[in-house]
Amino acid sequence: MRFDVYTPLPLSVLLALISPAIGSRVAPALAARVLTAAAVVTAAATCWSLFLLAATLVGDAPPIVAEARQDGHRLAEPVPEVIGIAAGVALAVLLVSVQGAVRADRRTRRALRRLCEGHPADTELIVAASPEPQAFAIPGTPGRILVTAGMLSALQPAERRVLLAHERAHLAHRHALLVTATTLAAAANPLLRPVRGTVAFLVERWADERAADAVGDRATTARALARAALSAEHPRPACALGFTDRAVTRRIAALQTTPPPHLWPLAAAVLALGALPVLGAADATDDLFRMLAGVLV
Amino acid sequence: MAGTDPRARAERRSAGELESEVLAALWATDRPLTPAEIQAEIDGPLAYNTVHTILKRLYDKGLVLRDADGRRGAYRPAKNAAELTAEAMHEALDRGPDPIAALQQFVTGLRPEEEKALRDLLAGGAG
Repeated sequence: MRFDVYTPLPLSVLLALISPAIGSRVAPALAARVLTAAAVVTAAATCWSLFLLAATLVGDAPPIVAEARQDGHRLAEPVPEVIGIAAGVALAVLLVSVQGAVRADRRTRRALRRLCEGHPADTELIVAASPEPQAFAIPGTPGRILVTAGMLSALQPAERRVLLAHERAHLAHRHALLVTATTLAAAANPLLRPVRGTVAFLVERWADERAADAVGDRATTARALARAALSAEHPRPACALGFTDRAVTRRIAALQTTPPPHLWPLAAAVLALGALPVLGAADATDDLFRMLAGVLV
Repeated sequence: MAGTDPRARAERRSAGELESEVLAALWATDRPLTPAEIQAEIDGPLAYNTVHTILKRLYDKGLVLRDADGRRGAYRPAKNAAELTAEAMHEALDRGPDPIAALQQFVTGLRPEEEKALRDLLAGGAG
């Protein structure tokens, strides 16, 4: 309880630090999956650890202290009271943050459903009659692809095929689910925010690789990205999120080399790193139960 | 290997995928297109009959209009639903970074020096 309850915190920082390196060295499909799994598990372990720390306050509650004294028990003090209180406050803040993320996700889904209105149910492509170049996948059953007329007219025939294959890959591999999972993990544990960014980048890389496979040409795929990016001369502030991270340039550079290998050992190491906080939290749970059992029984 | 033959790849596309590609080709230009012109606007070889079949399906769904602008046999996309979608999309985007920014957009913004590098890439490429 003294140390293991804190393990999820340094391990979250470590996961956040190594995630960009994993993202650039391991095949995007594998890297995105293991990073998401590790982030979700680490976030859950972090919240559980905070709960355990807050639960130690039970040992400080006056009736329990009085009762323990009566019974002649000596109270173990594994966690200073101030840390227990801080953990309780942090847990409350994080729960509100997760709730906010869930609500934002629902809002997005609602907004997306509205975009599909008036289009036949059995059509994959939804075109928006707008000159602004935009393209994104709308998850659902079935998933849809939304592209603006502005984006379509900016691209050559082979590049349009790349775009459609890219968005199709997002839908086929349920990328929205991975991004939502890491978004919730980052809301529950803000130390994991860089992992969310890496996974968001990796699903784009993953879809690029699938598109290159479908069209059979990495150079055409790279050109499609370049042309689409250049056609968006005045990006919206909403795009500012990706504005400084050179995401498109990095994706194009990745398409100009051979696809990264699967590197299973590195992926296994990430999963192991994700499992460590759980072990720490489980051990701490055991300690807490023993402590409370000593006090309450 | 079958996967490296562009013809084999084109044949592998499903009817739904080809529908998207034909619709995308029609939206990419302002003028109505005949099936032969559409054929040229689709990447990879596609039989004339296939284009016809797909156009009929799109027409039955109300997604394309036939004999557009007095040009017999030419098609152009139906605009109604697409205009409503554009309105809803702009509304969602203008509401701020919340809903649509959470999506994976195909591309995001560029820095000036990135822009130059991309222009060089397009100028240097065969396309």
